[in-house]
Amino acid sequence: MIGLRGISKAYGPVTALDGLELDVREGEFFCLLGPSGAGKTTTLKTVAGLERPDSGTVLLDGEDMAGVEPYDRGVAMCFESYALYPHKSAYDNLVSPLRSPRHRLPAAEARDRVHAVAELLGIGALLDRPVGRLSNGQRQRIALGRVLVRPARAFLLDEPLSHLDAKLRQQMRAEVKAIGDVQRTTTLYVTHDSVEALALGDRTGVIRDGRIVQTGTREEIWYEPHDTEVARAFGRPRINLLPGTVTEDGGFRSPDGKVELPVRAAAPAGTQVLVGVRPRDLSLTAPGHELTGTVYVTEVLGRSVEVTVRLGDQHVSLVAPRGDTAGLRPDDPVRLTVRPENLLLFEADGPEGPGRRIGKR
Amino acid sequence: MTVRKRLLGVLADAALILYFVFALFPIAWMVILSLKPANQLFSTYFSFTPTLGSYRTVLGDSEGIPFVRFFVNSLVVSVGAVALSLLVGLPAAYASARWRFKGSENLMFTLLSFRFAPELTVIIPLFVLYQKLGLFDTYVGMIWVLQLVTLPLIVWIMRSYFADLTPELEQAALLDGYTRKQAFFKVALPLVKPGVAAVSLLAFIFAWNNFVFPLILTSNEAQTVTVGALSFLGGDRPKYNLTAAAALVSVVPPLLLALTIQRYLVRGLSFGAVKS
Repeated sequence: MIGLRGISKAYGPVTALDGLELDVREGEFFCLLGPSGAGKTTTLKTVAGLERPDSGTVLLDGEDMAGVEPYDRGVAMCFESYALYPHKSAYDNLVSPLRSPRHRLPAAEARDRVHAVAELLGIGALLDRPVGRLSNGQRQRIALGRVLVRPARAFLLDEPLSHLDAKLRQQMRAEVKAIGDVQRTTTLYVTHDSVEALALGDRTGVIRDGRIVQTGTREEIWYEPHDTEVARAFGRPRINLLPGTVTEDGGFRSPDGKVELPVRAAAPAGTQVLVGVRPRDLSLTAPGHELTGTVYVTEVLGRSVEVTVRLGDQHVSLVAPRGDTAGLRPDDPVRLTVRPENLLLFEADGPEGPGRRIGKR
Repeated sequence: MTVRKRLLGVLADAALILYFVFALFPIAWMVILSLKPANQLFSTYFSFTPTLGSYRTVLGDSEGIPFVRFFVNSLVVSVGAVALSLLVGLPAAYASARWRFKGSENLMFTLLSFRFAPELTVIIPLFVLYQKLGLFDTYVGMIWVLQLVTLPLIVWIMRSYFADLTPELEQAALLDGYTRKQAFFKVALPLVKPGVAAVSLLAFIFAWNNFVFPLILTSNEAQTVTVGALSFLGGDRPKYNLTAAAALVSVVPPLLLALTIQRYLVRGLSFGAVKS
């Protein structure tokens, strides 16, 4: 549906997009995740036709969009800044697409459509207000409403929830995904929040320095991260990454010899590696490969507890049910277990970039 | 401390009043002059028999000098010059604020340099050109030459207004299904309306007050008030009372205009100075 082939774009000396490749399928909700400056917004604007790529091809429904004006591409976009018309009321902002030559509806139909969308977003009572007198959350809904009100081949949403406070963000996240039009329409959703990406995306693309590093379902991104940075981006508390080397029998040993793990590395002995294990994959009780250490600190997260454990020179954190951690005090000796299939193996991070994941034997 | 503070306050007030008198005196003098009868012009200072005769003469038969026509000429020429500058200048300002193209900065600087050059440096060649082209002493000629005054002003000020607008508003309009032209007229232009009002007024005042161009490039048909008011000084006896009355009458349009759009003016001139 949306296809980007080798898109490059530079602003003077700054490279925004560097041969970006992306495919979003028909009807899919695709999240584009990356830090600020990675090229997320430029990607969206390139799809919309607001930015012209220096090289590469934008395809919509297999059609080359070169030279096609934004208003002829039939995509709707929600800007990070909302880009509401400040001199108009909420209603006039929402109805704007329906008064344009491309999507014009008779006035009565347009009014019904606006009211239906406003009702859906819970902003029916605000329609007469000038947008200057709306709160951030309300503006965000208007901006989203302006996207939903008209027919579109695809929705492009640029961090629509980023300026909302945590509570509202969580509520809106659930709402966005539940909107029927969003479920039916191909959506490219940009965010820097990995929780949002995992929660919303049918698939997620991780973008860094103007390139897509990895594309996959949430399971693929979670269990088979492309490199240490992708692994670090997802999951809180963060994944534990322990440095060490590959042993003769394909295992893992930390430099101080205190941590040994059966990783079955597909790498020659002596290779510098990082072993990754998510805090929820370490346990105090379950059967598995055993490690011993001492408690460093514990922190109650609610029903579960984050325990930081010292293993030789390293600290690892794990999340355990509260019952398992009763009576743990700092400096108490503790036994951890991990199932070998939950271990991830990466090359050591180098100056050229984060270490890539190594397959298993 | 408080005594000193109060003393400073009084001194500051006194200084302000002094400046006020200094600034207003010429205007007061003009008013007085315009109200004097001709025979008391040189014999009195502040005590005289006030009369509106000078105004009657200036706006009426004018002793052979068509002052009312000069006044109308000024209106036509100034309004025409501002209108033409807006027509040409607003799109130019918008384009130069939104897009960098080859030579765009040079073009903008060249435009601005029209304002650096003293009018007197170009007036002789312009005079010759106007004589040859038949533009001498015509409305079209005056409106054209006043573009040197109004166009750079409008383009440069409006450019910064447009630059302060985020382009995402027009981009949103494009995605709503509007063409680029519609995005300009429906989104960008309404948002810079206070700026348009302010800069139009400034341009109008500059055009209205211009002296050198009408002095050299008009003789009678298209002559404006700035030059026309001086006609009363010619002849065998300079008629200062008529000159003063004519000058005061010619202040009225810019003053009225400034008062009517004052609301916009304050907003317009402070707009862009503060990031919202």
